[in-house]
Amino acid sequence: MKPRRDPIYRHILREVGKKIQMHPNYADLRNQLALLLMVEGDMGRAEVHFLKALRLNPKYRETILNLGFLYMETRRWKKAEEVFLAEVKRHPRDGFLHHVLGILYLQTGKQKKATAHILKAMKYHPHYRDYYRKKGVWTRGTIHLNPKVENVLENVHLYPYAQFHNFVGLNLAKRGKFEQAVKELKKAEGLSPNEFIFHANLGTVYYYQGAYPKAIQEFQKALRIDPLYGMGYANLSYVYGLMGRTGEALRCMNKAVRLNPQYADLHYSLALLYNDRKQYGKAVLELKKALRINPDYLFARINLGVLYEDQKRWKEARREYRKVLRITPDDEHVRKRLERIS
Amino acid sequence: MLREDFIIQANIRRILARTEIDVSQMDFGTVRGVVYIQGTFQVSRFDPSWDSDKVNEFTVNTLYSLEKKIRCIPGVLDVIFQLSNWRKEKGHWFHAKLK
Repeated sequence: MKPRRDPIYRHILREVGKKIQMHPNYADLRNQLALLLMVEGDMGRAEVHFLKALRLNPKYRETILNLGFLYMETRRWKKAEEVFLAEVKRHPRDGFLHHVLGILYLQTGKQKKATAHILKAMKYHPHYRDYYRKKGVWTRGTIHLNPKVENVLENVHLYPYAQFHNFVGLNLAKRGKFEQAVKELKKAEGLSPNEFIFHANLGTVYYYQGAYPKAIQEFQKALRIDPLYGMGYANLSYVYGLMGRTGEALRCMNKAVRLNPQYADLHYSLALLYNDRKQYGKAVLELKKALRINPDYLFARINLGVLYEDQKRWKEARREYRKVLRITPDDEHVRKRLERIS
Repeated sequence: MLREDFIIQANIRRILARTEIDVSQMDFGTVRGVVYIQGTFQVSRFDPSWDSDKVNEFTVNTLYSLEKKIRCIPGVLDVIFQLSNWRKEKGHWFHAKLK
């Protein structure tokens, strides 16, 4: 990779540099700068900034992983092992960390340890069972390691480069350059196809671009890797909604709410979908849940008033509208609704 | 009718992602085709050499453009801005002091 002359890369590097001047104590900016330097091949300065990021936020997982991969890339196996072992001690059920440790041990010829971690990776994250099966590592209930397989597995050290393309892709998307963003995110996905967030980000960019079938495909890939990714279901729901597939939108939003029961806006979205299917009772219930989480959630309260009004529950409708007008007395739409039923 | 509200919401998400608006301090909702935009309105990107008048002019243009785009979404009946730092009077935007 030779990003030095790439104008996008130069732009992002300048932007991150300026931000660091303004916010020298932001760990995420240090992590971004280190990633940019690492991709440029400046491993020494990259390490310095990863370490600075970790001094600012010692539990910053992304930086910990990037630093570990930097050590792997520069073949400083002992240091890489220290980084990943410390992390797996904090998160003993993290399948990805066991997967990385498995590969690290494979590369250093410690097959017994490698096998132990690969088994743990499969135990703690079901996705890895399929992954190892496809790679020919897991067959007939046992681990099979051979040099050919090891070569396939060792691509894991490309993770920071994938992170780099992901970061560039998101930066481009934020600037409205969706086509370029897609290209970068696809590079990220290509380097690290098992990272759910790359699929999720690509899905989001396709959604914003209006390429709905592709967005669905990417969100589904992300959810296959991480079935607990609630916002993936929410985004899928929005896309299905835009395609007029409201049944699927409802199913996905329901899952999103189950996975993120504390997100008021998801309850609100679910209420809108229930109402569409004329399931008013359920819609009211979801709006109430949203308001329990955030009593100042104005749109949920107005909607609740409208639903009560529809059901001729005038007293409750008036109560909700009055509450809204206490917060936003200038809302003419709500004032008119209140006057109409007073 | 509310089926459209969900679709309007999904459309607004798309629109906001494609603008120069800092959405981190904003929220939006739709009630029977009436779109509410709340919070603090700020543009996320502008030329650092601009003075405050130029930034304000750019922000006002962004506000007009956002309203126009939202009104173009099928099913939208009205757009209500309840912003803490900008207010609209007789069709014109004015910078307001932050509450």
